[in-house]
Amino acid sequence: MTALLEVRNLSVAYGAIEAVRDVSFSVGEGQIVSLIGSNGAGKTTTLRTISGLLRPKSGQILLEGKPIDALAAHTILERGVAHCPEGRRLFGRMTVEENLQLGAYVRKDSGVAADMQRVYELFPVLGQRKTQKAGLFSGGEQQMLAIGRAMMSRPRLLMLDEPSMGLSPIMTQRIFDTIKDLQAQGTTILLVEQNALAALALSDRGYVVDLGRTTLEGPGHDLLADERVRAAYLGEG
Amino acid sequence: MATLLQQLINGLVLGGLIALIALGYTMVYGIIQLINFAHGEVFMVGGFASLATYRYFLPPSWRSDWWLALPLMAIGGAVVAVVLAVVMERFAYRPLRNAPRLAPLITALGVSVILKEVVRLGYPGATAPVPFPRAFVDQQYRFEFFDGTVSIGSTAILMIVVSIIGAIVLQTYISRSRMGRAMRATAQDPDTARLMGVNPNRTIVLTFTIGGALAGLAGVLYGIHITNVDTEVGFLYGIFAFTAAVLGGVGSIKGAVIGGFAIGLIKTLSGQYFPGGTQYDLVWIFVLLIVVLVFRPQGLFGEPERVRA
Amino acid sequence: MKEWNEYPDGWVWLGQILLVGAGIAAVVLLVRLLWRVATPYLAERPALDRPLGIAGGVVAIIGALLPWVTFVLNDGPYPDKATLQFFDSPWALSGFRLHTLIIGVLAIAVVFLPLPRRRVLRALGWGSIGIALVNILFPIIDGGGFGAITSDGESFAFGGIATLIAAVLLVFAAKAGGVLEPIPHWKSAVPTLVAYAVLVVSFVVLLLVVAMLLNSGGQGGVGNPYAGPIFLSLLAFLAGVLGALHAIGLTTWISALSDKHKWFSVIVLLVVALALPFTEAGTDYWMTTAANIGVYAATAIGLNIVVGLAGLLDLGYVAFLGIGAFVAANFSGAAAAAVGIELPFVVAALIAAVVAGIFGAVVGSPTLRVRGDYLAIVTLAFGEIFKKAAQNNIGGLTGGANAIPNVPPVSAFGQPFDQPLTIGSVELPSGVLYYVLIIVLVALVMVVFANLKNARIGRAWIAIREDEDAARAMGIKTGQAKILAFLIGAMLAGLAGAVFAHKTSTVAYDSFQFIESVTLLAAVILGGMGSIPGAVLGAALLLVLPEKLREFADYRLMLFGLALVLIMRFRPQGLVPDRHRRAELANEGAEGVPIEELNVHDDTPGDSKAVTR
Repeated sequence: MTALLEVRNLSVAYGAIEAVRDVSFSVGEGQIVSLIGSNGAGKTTTLRTISGLLRPKSGQILLEGKPIDALAAHTILERGVAHCPEGRRLFGRMTVEENLQLGAYVRKDSGVAADMQRVYELFPVLGQRKTQKAGLFSGGEQQMLAIGRAMMSRPRLLMLDEPSMGLSPIMTQRIFDTIKDLQAQGTTILLVEQNALAALALSDRGYVVDLGRTTLEGPGHDLLADERVRAAYLGEG
Repeated sequence: MATLLQQLINGLVLGGLIALIALGYTMVYGIIQLINFAHGEVFMVGGFASLATYRYFLPPSWRSDWWLALPLMAIGGAVVAVVLAVVMERFAYRPLRNAPRLAPLITALGVSVILKEVVRLGYPGATAPVPFPRAFVDQQYRFEFFDGTVSIGSTAILMIVVSIIGAIVLQTYISRSRMGRAMRATAQDPDTARLMGVNPNRTIVLTFTIGGALAGLAGVLYGIHITNVDTEVGFLYGIFAFTAAVLGGVGSIKGAVIGGFAIGLIKTLSGQYFPGGTQYDLVWIFVLLIVVLVFRPQGLFGEPERVRA
Repeated sequence: MKEWNEYPDGWVWLGQILLVGAGIAAVVLLVRLLWRVATPYLAERPALDRPLGIAGGVVAIIGALLPWVTFVLNDGPYPDKATLQFFDSPWALSGFRLHTLIIGVLAIAVVFLPLPRRRVLRALGWGSIGIALVNILFPIIDGGGFGAITSDGESFAFGGIATLIAAVLLVFAAKAGGVLEPIPHWKSAVPTLVAYAVLVVSFVVLLLVVAMLLNSGGQGGVGNPYAGPIFLSLLAFLAGVLGALHAIGLTTWISALSDKHKWFSVIVLLVVALALPFTEAGTDYWMTTAANIGVYAATAIGLNIVVGLAGLLDLGYVAFLGIGAFVAANFSGAAAAAVGIELPFVVAALIAAVVAGIFGAVVGSPTLRVRGDYLAIVTLAFGEIFKKAAQNNIGGLTGGANAIPNVPPVSAFGQPFDQPLTIGSVELPSGVLYYVLIIVLVALVMVVFANLKNARIGRAWIAIREDEDAARAMGIKTGQAKILAFLIGAMLAGLAGAVFAHKTSTVAYDSFQFIESVTLLAAVILGGMGSIPGAVLGAALLLVLPEKLREFADYRLMLFGLALVLIMRFRPQGLVPDRHRRAELANEGAEGVPIEELNVHDDTPGDSKAVTR
């Protein structure tokens, strides 16, 4: 069986600086896979390269066995990979509704309105304030909108970059619950997190990225138990 | 009083013209943060293209019917302006999309010089102002007002009406349509817009297309109103329009229109009432431009600017 | 100029335009296709460089001996001039045929020498592309179509085409293996006397080359429309040779030596520049042109402080030249001057510099609040305000449309500067004293620039150019530094303006229009932002080329515009890039990664990217 997404020996450079040197991992259909690692390890760069915002220097990115690393960002989205970027990156001067419509930008089918309704059911606060500017919302609400927006393209693979960043523990829990729900509904999820504990607890599989390389991998619970991971990322000596 | 009203009318007419050009500036700046210096020249080329349509393409028997000739001239002017704007984007600006900021600005300056010179040398007789046909839509309406007579031409009315309708249509398109949303998204955050599946190149080309069409339209209106067209006007009206766009707040449609009318009024009123008269009316506009840029660079309706490396 | 009704139907005209456009597009696509196919092919075959180089050299030699279309100077209208030169005098070749022959011989020689041959071949190849294109295109464009290159009835001029083929072979030879050799490094630790000798020889050669260039093809104009192509062809040849010398490390070595013996080089350069009147270029005509170049060069160096060092784009810079000129004219004792005082030139020039400097500080003051391209617009607005004010004779100081005529020439020791000068038995052309004056001025401006650049303030400017916020964070008073850049730049322009006023004798507002500002900017950018020799070279090229290409005078501005666009696209660092310069325009090292990626995103709720300025 080929994995839904497979990244092989990826390296990405900003000019002379290599942010990602040798990252390899794969994401199976229906799984939650997380990349964990410290700040600046190259996780975000990896996601940005998968979604076509950056070009790899070498290595391969395969979606269902077909290379996507030379495609434009909008084509990659059309193939079913949605990316919910770090720091939400909402269109702050547009309304909630417009943000969601942009999420469905590439879709030409008639299910958009129904999907928007689903997002409002999932996050009632968005439904109540759908004509307000996205910039006025709190961090947690913005994160809901960002996830909702990414869902609007009906992705097969949803990539979430630091969805818990800057959120309160309660809000973080809600976001992770939502991620679990999305998986239950059949979406494959690639999660990048600094909150390694929560991420690994949720994941079918985890990869540790360090200095631009994947150094450890294994099922989420195994990694949680791994001493090296505990020492480096979970603050235990 | 009659003089004042007359100057107000003249100012609004000029303002409508400036607003049409300013829309192109403001949209392009909003989306790629480029002062498209050559936009004024696109307007000038639009004027010449509509004149060429009339002289060299329309069968003589059609020329006397304004309802036939004028729309065709407008189409001719707008089509050429659009082609020009799109070609310019593709070959001059797009390769520099990620270059440091001075590079596209200097390129725009170069493109502007090239366009002006090409028309000056290439269009028959364009080394001097070229007369526009004035056989049609040249009705003057006069009426008494307090102490004198005020007149307004049909071309003047056309100018104001077209500019306002143009701005309303554009505003509606940008705020309601799918492509309009894509344009606003690209302007706010190009990378995230790409993650939504927006093709930035297509969006930018569309922006240049709309800007070019409006500038071409402005060229035709300028020609039939002033009754000649000159290679110098591109630079001059380009600066007026840019000032209007800045005054209104770069990136804002509403701002460009209000800024345009404000500049038009300032020019006619300062020419009438300020010391130095029409000799110095341009100077007042430039002074206003500097004051706005220094004290309120985001303009009247603009959002604070986005940084770009 | 044809009347409109002499033109055919618009559709025919449109068709012609489209046809020409399609032709150009086809040629461009063909060249690109060839390039795309050949480059990877050659990259894998490093051994091909020798055979290709020899082949290129041989074809170039053959090309030089084959018939070319050429013209006999000053001998009737065009078609009669287009004579074929045959293989009649192989050992008496001259002009571009000689240059082609030399390139061919050099190319063959370099293949067998222990030198970085690919680099040398690349330079020679591009040089001969230049020679071939000039000599093929000129007869076609000016001689009326492709018929012109088969000028002698049934005979066909193969020479140019053979040279073009040779040039392509040479360029491809350089592509073999995919990478160029490193430029060899020559030891700069040589005995002082040797270094001095090398420097003297290099500068004298430079002088002779400049004189030869200026004289090549004679003086341009209606009587001699062929000055342009002859000049351009020689320029291409010299550029090729210079590139070859650079490839073997010679120019780098000389430049290292001159860096080491800075003062000696400056003195020799000054002496050499002052010796130009004694060469074959020492004519009235060239002295006047050279003085004009000097005025523009001095102004361009001033502009270079603002644009090149501090990174502030100024689009109204010529106003400072104008202010200097009007101030000097008013203190010159000219009849039309509003100020009745006649001051000695040096005093008037200093006042001109100070006044221009004050205006510079005023124009620069918005930089405290306005950044980037908005600043460019502010300076443009100031430039237009100056023009309008001068046009309307503001305060009676500018003469308005009448200008200020009859500004007397500068004179010293009873010798007016516009008269010929006799030293002993040598009669020097008129204008030579202005030339000397302007050389001194340019030298002065260069010294000021070089010292400022290496001083604290220069480093502050460069820091501001690279990243203003970071510069401020490091404790640089950015506002002060930016205003100082405008002030000093404007002073230099004002000084140049004073010389300009006396030299041209009529100071009119229309000498200081927007397009002159664009010309100055083009000079700075063409030469290389932040680079002193660059600004001088840029100004010289932009003024000499129009003199040589008089029959293309109409196209001058269009070509300026084209030059700006092409430089920004293909060589943003300019012809003589500043060595220490990094980023404002030369986007180095980025492998297709958008610069935006390097931004730090500030993620707070709301409009996360709002930035106050």
